[in-house]
Amino acid sequence: MYWGGNPAECHPRHFTKYTIMQKSKFLPRGRKDRTMVLVDIRETKSVKASDIFLQVRPGKDFELITILRALIKDQPVGDDQIAETGLTREVLEDLVKRMKAAKFGCMFFGMGLSMTRGKHMNSAALLTLAAEMNAYTKFVAMPMRGHGNVTGADVMMRWQTGYPFGITFNRGYPRYNPGEFSTVDVLVRGDCDAAFIIGADPGGTMPQPAIDHLKRIPTIVLDPHVTHTSKLARVHITTASQGIAAPGTAYRMDEIPMPLKPALKSPYPTDEDVVRRINAAISRKPFWLPEGSQPQMLTAQV
Amino acid sequence: MSLQVIDNATCTFCGCVCDDIQLHHDEFKIHKAKKACVLGTAWFLNHTAERKYPDALIDGKEATLDEAIEAAAEFLHEADMPLVYGMSNTTCEAQRECAALADQLGGLLDSHTSL
Ligand code: SF4
Repeated sequence: MYWGGNPAECHPRHFTKYTIMQKSKFLPRGRKDRTMVLVDIRETKSVKASDIFLQVRPGKDFELITILRALIKDQPVGDDQIAETGLTREVLEDLVKRMKAAKFGCMFFGMGLSMTRGKHMNSAALLTLAAEMNAYTKFVAMPMRGHGNVTGADVMMRWQTGYPFGITFNRGYPRYNPGEFSTVDVLVRGDCDAAFIIGADPGGTMPQPAIDHLKRIPTIVLDPHVTHTSKLARVHITTASQGIAAPGTAYRMDEIPMPLKPALKSPYPTDEDVVRRINAAISRKPFWLPEGSQPQMLTAQV
Repeated sequence: MSLQVIDNATCTFCGCVCDDIQLHHDEFKIHKAKKACVLGTAWFLNHTAERKYPDALIDGKEATLDEAIEAAAEFLHEADMPLVYGMSNTTCEAQRECAALADQLGGLLDSHTSL
């Protein structure tokens, strides 16, 4: 099941390499042994690949997921509630039957779900639906990650700090609170007084108030290209592109780490190198606590 | 001139991270990316090892890498609440350094995921 995504155009090899086309021991006929459902607000190129296409009314994903959660448990759902999502009872009951009959279901959700009305509540609802389906059969859910190594960033931050994003170290230990420490909010409120941007171009994607704040404060950009953000930054450093000229590791969206095999020799240093040198330069300066004192280590207290 | 071939190279353009690409290159430009999809092919073929941009820019003027690193360290150290953001189009090794940077600065650390 793909929900709010368009893999045919955004992840072109997702079908062939991972989901519907591969033949396996238990699904020897590949595509014919699988059912693909697509839920989206409009007909995209991915519709052609799907067996069932559900066109949900824009902004009604949360309602639809909630109705499905009720239907799988045979709870009563009103006709007007179903009508609100733009679908019919027959279609949904058929879907529920198929979901329960499946041996192994997998849901992939894209930005059409997680970035529209309801946002992370939608993702949470879909994850709950997947969890509840496990009372009947095996079901999992996974976000469709976009560019490059965003998954790696999640994994790395979880490993280093215990949290996946939206972290502050301002008390000397990591704390997590999306909405308070997430970048868009921080920038729109104008909280931070310097920004270090690596492998991203917020100057091209973020809301205008956030960009305006990046212009006000010293911004430092590391990127293989001179980007929108570089143009408003105080410092830009050109680095080698990952996977093309810089070696390292990248995570696939199902959190499998992949080694990169760079083909080209770049005249520029790698991101890793530059950040390490900035780290070294900062550590030569006094620590940020008053009079350069160091934070108390736990070992010093026991 | 014969091209060098890299088997099972990894494409990081989208979240699929296909690791079966065959690259034909001459260390300067990639000429062919077999098995990659349209997006991946465009991504591989669009990059060259050419020096297209200056090493670094400070306030829009060309600068050396050392100067830029010193300036970056200065700005980040001066700040009370620095933000470390992005980390999508970069390697895990660099991301780990970024976590260390935010930790050392007592700053904010965030990625694309929060958007
Ligand atoms: S080859 Fe295509 S599907 Fe595979 S990672 Fe690259 S862009 Fe994505």
